[in-house]
Amino acid sequence: MSIDWLRHQHGHPDSPLHSLPAELKLGFGFGVILVTVLAPIEWSTWFICAALGLGVTALLSRLPLLFLSRRLLALSPFVLGVVLVNAFEPAGRGHWLAVSVKSVLCLLTVILVSNTTPFSQILRALKFIRIPALLITTIALMHRYLFVLMEESERMRRARASRTFKRGQRFHWRLLATIVSQLFIRASERAERIYDAMCARGWK
Amino acid sequence: MHIPDGFIDGKTAAAAAVLSVTGVGFALKRVRLELPPRKVPLLGLAAAFLFVAQMVNFPVAGGTSGHLVGGTLVAALLGPSAAVVVVTTVLIIQCFLFQDGGVISLGANVFNMAIVNSVIGYAIYRIVSHWLPGARGRIAALAFAAWCATVLAAMGCAGQLAWSGTIPWTAAFPAMTTVHMLIGLGEGLISAMVFAAISRARPDLVIESNEAGPQERAGELVLYGLLITLGIALFIAPFACSWPDGLDSVAEKFGISHRIAAALLPAPAPDYQIPGIHWAVGATALAGVAGALIVFGLALGLGRLLVPKTRNGVPGNQANP
Amino acid sequence: MSPAIEVSDLRYRYHDGTEALRGLCFRIEPGECVALLGPNGSGKSTILLHLNGILPDRLPGDGTVKILGVPVAAAALEAIRRQVGLVFQDPDDQLFCPTVQEDVAFGPEQMGLDKSQVAARVLRSLAQVGLSGFGHRATHHLSHGEKRRVCLAGVLACEPSILVLDEPTSDLDPRGRREFKALLRGISATKLIATHDLEMAVELCARAIVIDRGQVVADGRTVELLNNEPLMFAHGLERPHILQHFHPASPAAG
Repeated sequence: MSIDWLRHQHGHPDSPLHSLPAELKLGFGFGVILVTVLAPIEWSTWFICAALGLGVTALLSRLPLLFLSRRLLALSPFVLGVVLVNAFEPAGRGHWLAVSVKSVLCLLTVILVSNTTPFSQILRALKFIRIPALLITTIALMHRYLFVLMEESERMRRARASRTFKRGQRFHWRLLATIVSQLFIRASERAERIYDAMCARGWK
Repeated sequence: MHIPDGFIDGKTAAAAAVLSVTGVGFALKRVRLELPPRKVPLLGLAAAFLFVAQMVNFPVAGGTSGHLVGGTLVAALLGPSAAVVVVTTVLIIQCFLFQDGGVISLGANVFNMAIVNSVIGYAIYRIVSHWLPGARGRIAALAFAAWCATVLAAMGCAGQLAWSGTIPWTAAFPAMTTVHMLIGLGEGLISAMVFAAISRARPDLVIESNEAGPQERAGELVLYGLLITLGIALFIAPFACSWPDGLDSVAEKFGISHRIAAALLPAPAPDYQIPGIHWAVGATALAGVAGALIVFGLALGLGRLLVPKTRNGVPGNQANP
Repeated sequence: MSPAIEVSDLRYRYHDGTEALRGLCFRIEPGECVALLGPNGSGKSTILLHLNGILPDRLPGDGTVKILGVPVAAAALEAIRRQVGLVFQDPDDQLFCPTVQEDVAFGPEQMGLDKSQVAARVLRSLAQVGLSGFGHRATHHLSHGEKRRVCLAGVLACEPSILVLDEPTSDLDPRGRREFKALLRGISATKLIATHDLEMAVELCARAIVIDRGQVVADGRTVELLNNEPLMFAHGLERPHILQHFHPASPAAG
């Protein structure tokens, strides 16, 4: 997973979907997911309408098709697993269709909403539904420092790789464990400095 | 183990969500009480750390690779409630930003990976390290605890899938449990190695060993234990024993509509056309017990490996790789 | 009038016992722009963290630090932190909010100002650092130079009378350095700048204090000190090129 993949976040900020208010997108998206999960597979009207609606929305969002299909494809191992397992259990047949359709529709909804809504607005919506402040701060800080830590780990890995001449997995594991432990130590030290910076501007 | 939307049904998701909200709410309260203000940013940074750490590929033979999940590791470093908050944060971000795990299934994922994994992992870690003294004991305890936590979380996941009717229990339990008994080996090994490296370099950062007293921890664990027991009662026990049949007849006696009861109750073990599968459940359970003993032995060996003795018999520092 | 910053006999030990500061003494008058120079490990950052009470962990520490005549003590911390704006060495440590707007607004909000006042200060500070219109930008997407400027804006939004900066131009490209120096020149507060950028020290700061191994080894006119090659070499510094081509007393140097 490269950093560039993770940096891809909000598509083209000029699509009509981007300009919709976040609360609307989040609320509507959640509603769609909820109904999709709860609806029995027999309600084909709902699923067809949802599929069409999401398809249109996907076009409106101007998100790259390749990106969308790749994310949707990530579901395939799960669906395949269900299919395989149920192939042996007569009681389980028929579920695979429901599972695949529902999971694809729900995933598409989440992709569309999250890639057209800036993260700070998602945080605001969480605050609105009374998520406790400590959890919101933690989520915000995690998001803020995700990329910083990712870059640090990349740098550490490259620096170590430049000085690695031995081969072998056991050595490799020790190396990786060292990097991960260093990452925690640096994260802890940075957390202390962030606390100091917060206090310096009057945080209580 | 991130369950996508559509794989568990409404009632399972709702039940899991109720348990998770209670558990996370409790964890937040405990963290506010226990964690000094200086450490508050550490929760967010630890979550970012966990996310990045989970991306590290630990190569295993044959092109596969292992990854850290880290709930037990974080619990050993920061305490169980902080670990619940940290892992929940990671799951929320993974769900919304990376679509790893569904929105409605978030409750189930939080229950399995944030609560069961972190809290049970922590409890086993503390209990075992109480018996096995010293730095070696702690490492061995952590390795074993991480393995157990991985397997138990997988069982919770299997139970949720089975209760939703997505995969029958007789298939879900053996499949998820055996796979995670293997995955858990990697988890235990990596968690132990990382913890050993951190304790060597910066023992002061291992908050857990520095602060909470045993009484407080016991009380905290009791509450989590209640939640987890409820979860087990809902997601696992009905399949492991036959109370659905009993409950079914009780429902009939009280005139509760049979259809509603049947919809809510886990499907009783169906008559198998393939006898081997029923056997698989029993075999898996046995394998689990045997596996636990083997892993415990391996963990002891790991402790010895990662914390070598100095000449005086006191565990010393390993030279930096 | 009391000095802006008065430090007497300041001592500090790190957690592992090493002495970081060994009896430091200096005064800075209001309106001065002073450079804090010294080799790595001399204790510059440690000194700066004492000026707004982040260090020592338990106040009062060993020695006295007075800001505008008020000793730095637990009770006075809030007032002191309003007066002393500290810009940290690593902008990623200071820029902890998701958007630029929220980060610059952090200080004024903590001060208890109402929404309109906060918004006004944010606009003013962003304009001061040349980043008007950046409010909605995500902090993790900014370039290094932009991050440094947002950090400065966040501190300026608190309207401190004393600005303390820890290595503000390190990691900046030449243009970034030029722009940042121009920004600092335009700010009228008392300034104390810890830096390795000796050229900037000559251009912006009339006075310099040289620290080595936790003690003040020189305190005087920047140009005089930096022209003193033996002094510079003895303390891990050097005579900057800008002084090798200018007469020490020329207008450009001070």
